[in-house]
Amino acid sequence: MAFSGKRIGEVIESSTTQFTAECIEREGVPPFGSLVVAVSDYEVYGLVFEVRTVSVDPGRRPMAYGKTEEELMMEQPQIFELLRTEFQAVICGYRDREGVRQALPPTPPRIHSFVYPCDLEGVREFTSSFDFLRMLFSSYLRIPIDELIIASLRNAYLARDGDPSYLIKAGKELSKLLGDDYERLNSIFRRIGR
Amino acid sequence: MKEEASRVLGVITKGSLTEGMQMKLDPGRSVEEIKAGKFVVIEGEMCDFFSMITDVGLDATSSQILINPPMPEDSVMKEILRGTNTYVTVSLKPVLMIRRDSGQDSIPEPVKTIPPHFASVREARAEDVGRVFGKEGEDRRFFNIGTPIDMDVPVCLDLERFVERSNGIFGKTGTGKTFLTRLVLAGIIRNEIAVNIIFDMHNEYGWSAIREEGVRSGGMVKGLKQLFPEKVAIFSLDPESTRRRNVSPDHEVWISLDQIEVEDIALLQEELVLHPTAIEAAYLIAAKYGRGWLKELLSLGGDEIKDFAYGIGAHPESVSALYRKLRRLQGLPFLVSDRPKGGKDVLSRMMEFINSGKHIVLEFGRQSSMLCYLLVANIITRMIHEHYVDLTERYIATGRIEDKPKQLVITIEEAHKFLNPSASRQTIFGTIAREMRKYNVSLLIVDQRPSSIDDEVLSQIGTRIIASLNDERDIQAVLTGVTNASGLRSVLASLDSKQQVLIMGHAVPMPVVIRTRDYDESFYSGIAGRREGVGIASLFGE
Repeated sequence: MAFSGKRIGEVIESSTTQFTAECIEREGVPPFGSLVVAVSDYEVYGLVFEVRTVSVDPGRRPMAYGKTEEELMMEQPQIFELLRTEFQAVICGYRDREGVRQALPPTPPRIHSFVYPCDLEGVREFTSSFDFLRMLFSSYLRIPIDELIIASLRNAYLARDGDPSYLIKAGKELSKLLGDDYERLNSIFRRIGR
Repeated sequence: MKEEASRVLGVITKGSLTEGMQMKLDPGRSVEEIKAGKFVVIEGEMCDFFSMITDVGLDATSSQILINPPMPEDSVMKEILRGTNTYVTVSLKPVLMIRRDSGQDSIPEPVKTIPPHFASVREARAEDVGRVFGKEGEDRRFFNIGTPIDMDVPVCLDLERFVERSNGIFGKTGTGKTFLTRLVLAGIIRNEIAVNIIFDMHNEYGWSAIREEGVRSGGMVKGLKQLFPEKVAIFSLDPESTRRRNVSPDHEVWISLDQIEVEDIALLQEELVLHPTAIEAAYLIAAKYGRGWLKELLSLGGDEIKDFAYGIGAHPESVSALYRKLRRLQGLPFLVSDRPKGGKDVLSRMMEFINSGKHIVLEFGRQSSMLCYLLVANIITRMIHEHYVDLTERYIATGRIEDKPKQLVITIEEAHKFLNPSASRQTIFGTIAREMRKYNVSLLIVDQRPSSIDDEVLSQIGTRIIASLNDERDIQAVLTGVTNASGLRSVLASLDSKQQVLIMGHAVPMPVVIRTRDYDESFYSGIAGRREGVGIASLFGE
């Protein structure tokens, strides 16, 4: 088990390479680049790359009220119930009986399966190898890949109490993936922030 | 043996038999650990390849990195790039190989193939050094001369092979040539490999000499006579000077005029500024008067020269020039016009010592001018050479092992004076360097200017012991006659100026850079410990 605590979402769209989940609570939105687990036949790991909040009714768009969130909560709490938040995650691994694999799962998470945030231990376990970076590179999805790498590696780095040796290891892997693109490597690591 | 001494240094990435191998340094190792000349082992599939590091280089996958390098404080980025985008390549020169499944006693052979891709390279261990260079104490011929770079294992010189051929000790001044020479000579004496004659121009070999760094410390080191009192005899050209240093010479050397031949004078051409026609005149005089030619010439009065010249058919001016220049010789105290009655001639005295296995240090005392040194060394060596040729011919005739002349090593300093291209054809040293191996005589050439030595002589040198040299021409010269010298050149150029030498050639299986052994109390006691071991009689069969 790489996750603990409350579920944060429910899968509403699923494919081999990505899944979309709707947030269960307004506060429980996973941050960009965080590692989440959708639990169905397998524990499917995904990196959150898109979060959006839209109207429940596609025909109606939220409109501006000119009030603070607190004031609105007091005066018109129902309008928040008319919004829903969903997030998209790119699948970058799964766990079967043998352990974590950084490969696409045999079957995607089922619709309505629940999604949990990965805990620190789970993040450390999953990010101890770097094949998921290659999966991101070979993904055909339109994902902001550099930004996703920055966010995910930063999470992994912080989960290790800011151990620079982890960053160095990750950098060496990444430099192989980037080939001669030293500028890109440099910009990624500059922004991970040390 | 230190466990960490055998850690992996890197893997082989490319290379060829002629060009040597390239290794990518393990990212965990610092480039600064890699020193030119270091002895390493490449572990192939079936064989171990004993190699020497010849060059180290930095490389990068992308020129962008070099244009826009990480900031100095950006240690993480530097770490990331290290070993991936920026890496160190090390050039290795495999010299010997040995099959891993062969027994411990098998001898490494010269490389005929190369290790495969990604063969790992490790630092040499003590047993590797022992396997390649032999172990002191295992055999009389092995003599510990120092340790490889960053290791604490003795590298041994095969003294028997060493004395078989003429050898050179080269290095610019102050690099410890004299100490090295003394070390090697002490080894030859202790292990009783050959008999030495040392032409000791600066009185450094026989009795105590000032330590190299002596100007400050004032320390003295022991000479050969102190280390081996019963095996070494001191001959002196200047007995007074020798006695003043509290040493009593075993023999006072004098040379009579009839022992000087024209070729001895020819060698002095440069020192005396003699014109070639003067030498021709000398030959004419010698043709007429034989051995007494010089005495005859020097006994002339100033006005008799003209008649004398006509008498032999030479040009009076040439004879007169020869006469004027050679008058200088008369001032030398060790030159006598007649042999003293009962006085023993230097050759027979030397041969007595040599036959009884004693080593001779010929001190020059204050007669240390180049003129004296050249003259005396040439005369004595010429006489010994003639004697040795006779002895060897007799041995060949009888074929009896007891007639075999003892291997003789003649040590000369400032060798380029004897062996420069014009002199080496005239002097006896040139002949010895070229062909005296057959007659059991070899030279130990000590010199700081190898580029002045005749190429033909240099190419015949068996073992070279080379300390730091600066001049490109000297480096070029010491590598004359060495195959595949390009790798060694960078090694040579990077030698420390003290106590570090490159040894290559006949007496070592592969070139190696060593830190020479200390010439100190522990050396003295090590030498003294074995002194009583093998008797002279048992060695020379007397």
